[in-house]
Amino acid sequence: MIGATFDTWETFPVPVYPFSAIVGQERMKLALILNAIDPCIGGVLIRGEKGTAKSTAVRALAALMPECSIFSGCSFACDPECSEEWCPDCRNRDSIPAIRRRRARVVTLPLNATEDMVLGGIDFSKTILSGRCIVQPGLLARAHRGILYVDEVNLLDDHLVDLILDAAASGENVVEREGISFRHTTRFTLIGTMNPEEGALRPQLLDRFGLCVEVTSERDVSTRVDLMERRARFDLRSDEFLLLSADAEAKLAGKLARARDLLPSVRMEPHIRSYISELAVNHHVAGHRADLAIERAACAHAAWDGRNRADTKDVLAVAEMALMHRRREAMPPPPPPQPPPQRNNETNSGEKGTSQAPPSESTSSSEQERLSLPGMGNGGERKESPEASESPDQLFPVGPTFSVKRLAPPTDRLMRRGSGRRSRTRTSQKQGRYVRSRVSSECRDLALDATLRAAAPYQLQRRKGSRTAVVIRKKDWREKVREKRTGSFILFIVDASGSMGSRGRMAASKGAVMSLLLDAYQKRDRIAMATFRRREATILLPPTASIEVAARLLSEMPIGGRTPLSAGLAKGYEVLQVQMRRDPNLRPLAVLITDGKSNVPMGKNSPMEEALHLAEHLGRDARVHWIVVDTEEAGIVRFELARRIAEVLGGEYFRIDDLRAADLIRVLKGRIA
Amino acid sequence: MKDRVTYPFVAIVGQERMKMGLILTIVNPTLSGILIRGEKGTAKSTAVRGLAEILPLIDTVRDCPFQLAPEEQGEVCDECPHLTCRERLARGEAPEIIQRKVSVVELPVGATEDRVVGTLDMEHALKEGEKHFDPGLLATAHRGILYVDEVNLLDDHVVDVLLDSAAMGVNTVEREGVSYTHPARFTLVGTMNPEEGELRPQLLDRFGLCVTIEGARETEQRVEIMERRVAFDENPAGFVEKWREDSLRLAEEIVRAVALYPHVAIRRELLFEIAAYCIDVGVDGHRGDIIMLKAAKTLAAFHGRKDATPEDIEEVAQYVLPHRVRRQPLQEIIHDVGHMRRPVADQP
Repeated sequence: MIGATFDTWETFPVPVYPFSAIVGQERMKLALILNAIDPCIGGVLIRGEKGTAKSTAVRALAALMPECSIFSGCSFACDPECSEEWCPDCRNRDSIPAIRRRRARVVTLPLNATEDMVLGGIDFSKTILSGRCIVQPGLLARAHRGILYVDEVNLLDDHLVDLILDAAASGENVVEREGISFRHTTRFTLIGTMNPEEGALRPQLLDRFGLCVEVTSERDVSTRVDLMERRARFDLRSDEFLLLSADAEAKLAGKLARARDLLPSVRMEPHIRSYISELAVNHHVAGHRADLAIERAACAHAAWDGRNRADTKDVLAVAEMALMHRRREAMPPPPPPQPPPQRNNETNSGEKGTSQAPPSESTSSSEQERLSLPGMGNGGERKESPEASESPDQLFPVGPTFSVKRLAPPTDRLMRRGSGRRSRTRTSQKQGRYVRSRVSSECRDLALDATLRAAAPYQLQRRKGSRTAVVIRKKDWREKVREKRTGSFILFIVDASGSMGSRGRMAASKGAVMSLLLDAYQKRDRIAMATFRRREATILLPPTASIEVAARLLSEMPIGGRTPLSAGLAKGYEVLQVQMRRDPNLRPLAVLITDGKSNVPMGKNSPMEEALHLAEHLGRDARVHWIVVDTEEAGIVRFELARRIAEVLGGEYFRIDDLRAADLIRVLKGRIA
Repeated sequence: MKDRVTYPFVAIVGQERMKMGLILTIVNPTLSGILIRGEKGTAKSTAVRGLAEILPLIDTVRDCPFQLAPEEQGEVCDECPHLTCRERLARGEAPEIIQRKVSVVELPVGATEDRVVGTLDMEHALKEGEKHFDPGLLATAHRGILYVDEVNLLDDHVVDVLLDSAAMGVNTVEREGVSYTHPARFTLVGTMNPEEGELRPQLLDRFGLCVTIEGARETEQRVEIMERRVAFDENPAGFVEKWREDSLRLAEEIVRAVALYPHVAIRRELLFEIAAYCIDVGVDGHRGDIIMLKAAKTLAAFHGRKDATPEDIEEVAQYVLPHRVRRQPLQEIIHDVGHMRRPVADQP
């Protein structure tokens, strides 16, 4: 039933810059090496600015991957040792085929991959030639026992993210579509690179990475010079360069191989394990993946060092990589660190002497400092700043919020109206799920299953004298109709400056936002919220569909300070751009809630001028629909600055006085529909 | 190739930066492309076409869909749909060689990825049960110039693929069960009008050079442009003839520079200068450094020197750094990077 080969997978040799010749970036290299030693660490996420050898390093890693034995002729890279995981092909073989060894692969998952490509699909030519349904394995099959590499993983389509997470979690790829049904084992190390400038990663995916490293460019001039020289030499004469670095590369590969051999015998004392869990607790890490990743990575680190005993040194060397992306953000202030529980594993203390000291039970304050690793203090500050670092100038209490209860009536009505209104759109690109097929005269996106079915009745008469087992005529052609879920995306840019705090204006705004949140939740729309106050704009809520987080953040949203309107607009547009990049068909909605009194500029111009200039710039992007809600108080003197902003944005303008929460929702709903 | 007469490159008035940038990328395609930012009607495509016109002819296997040079034939040919050539190869005969001009391949804005990278010839697969690769524009552009108008309006994936190929000199297709690799060494020229939105930083960074151009402001220059254009339109052949000598000279210079480039040396202290420059103006990552080094050597080669000078560095900084300088969101790209530097005095 299943049978396929990758005829032409490895062809044209492309010179790859050798791993050992990469200058600097020691942490990134270490993380990659650790994963090459022990694939169970769970992959690496490499975050960093552009041009810091992220992709180069991952591509170079391929040459250092361990060899693994496979059956020759098996395209699912089945492990001959592990018969319960064999693919149906290997299981049904009469004789055991020859076993060959090859390097574990580094498989690149392109951002625009199709579902068939990732999971596997029908092999056209073989199916037609043989008349049997032959499966073409997907990238998940190729990556089995190797590395799956996603460049710019933060821009990966959600749909593909789900597929990968699913396969990674179950270790199995189950294909039930297009009339084919098969499953095969897939265990891969996920390596992703991303530039945080272009948006964050979904938390589930983030947690999936065992380790995470940040890379920045080298600041040291002579290192940069060294780097330039090497790259220039490589580009000029790659063959020569590869020859010169072959020695270093072989040494590295040898060291890796030794580390791999050593790994099974690496031991970790129980107290080191407790130390790890302490670390994890102290960093308020969600889940247990961090503990496991640290343990694995520490063992691998010891093996890399040529030792068969992992100690605190190893733990500290790898802990930051496992913890930095798992620390909980946007969570209530952490509970005070408790002293670690009493342990009674002191029996082996004599043996280890000094290195025993760190995990001693009475964790002193200096010990606590040691536990909190360097470079881990940032990132969480966004959430803490409202409470912790409030400067004394103005401190409004958190404005009164509409409780969910008070909003219940309108919400309830909306739920009924909104149910089932998840908009789907046809896509002309080869993206999205294949839902059905239709007759087509072009074969751009052929639905082979349907085509075969259409051709089936005529086979008897057509087959005479044909080379192929199945004869297909043009009239049989069917193409795929694909569907992509396009929930709307609504971005709220909320002015949280002091001027908004008066007369319950903020409460009304918050109420409106809250009701919309509930509505969006029903329709699986995604929302995000940016606020601006004091000197900067922050993304209060990254694009999400989680109503709970949104609701809590909204009610806790602090108010006060000056009005950096242009920063708010810029930040908001950044969020929108990332969303539109991921989904070019997206037509997002941006709701700006402000009184328009911009008084903090980003640059040197006057704040109002800057905001208007920026708004004009943003208004040119026709994909975004803007709605401006003016919260200026009704008085004798009105500046109507928000109206001017709305005009240059090319958006709609509403005064909050004319607009109770329910009305605002009606307006928005009209836009989305 | 075609009989249509192209406006000579050397007859373009002004736009010195763009012309020099184009020459640099032609001489050294590993600079991975040039991005020309500017309004419409600033002779962008005229320049590209005109430059291709004067380049020396290249040897190509006749009718080869991959534009292969005779010595490049090999694995790529195994699945080539062009059968006659394959048969010749199987018989051990030498391929038929033709000489042709360097081609300029234009990528339309609406281009889908299939058209760019190539795809499986599905009709053939269905009829014959054989996989044939249907080459895309990247194959057509091999050894030529790929001209992408309005690159900022192109799908991000497509731009990604373009830049990947330009940097690696190879196009790898993995789609629909096809996996295929063929050489794709081309000079990438992208143009964009910044008013219609910027490229995202990651992609911007991967264009080696970037120049911003605007229409000529002086009346004299504008008159000159009009006069020359009218002269060309009235008598294209005559106009080209008039500029023939200049064209030939430029072509010679380019050919010489290509040969000289591998022999250009750069003093070590100049590398420090480059690194310091990049740190001073605030450039992310290391691509800036690397490209600057290559560009400086290329420029030296073009000037017929075997040694890159500080002046070369100063000049190429204007091409290499503007689009790499860290910016505020939505801030415009800086035109003059030179004045962003601290006084050179306090540098080592």
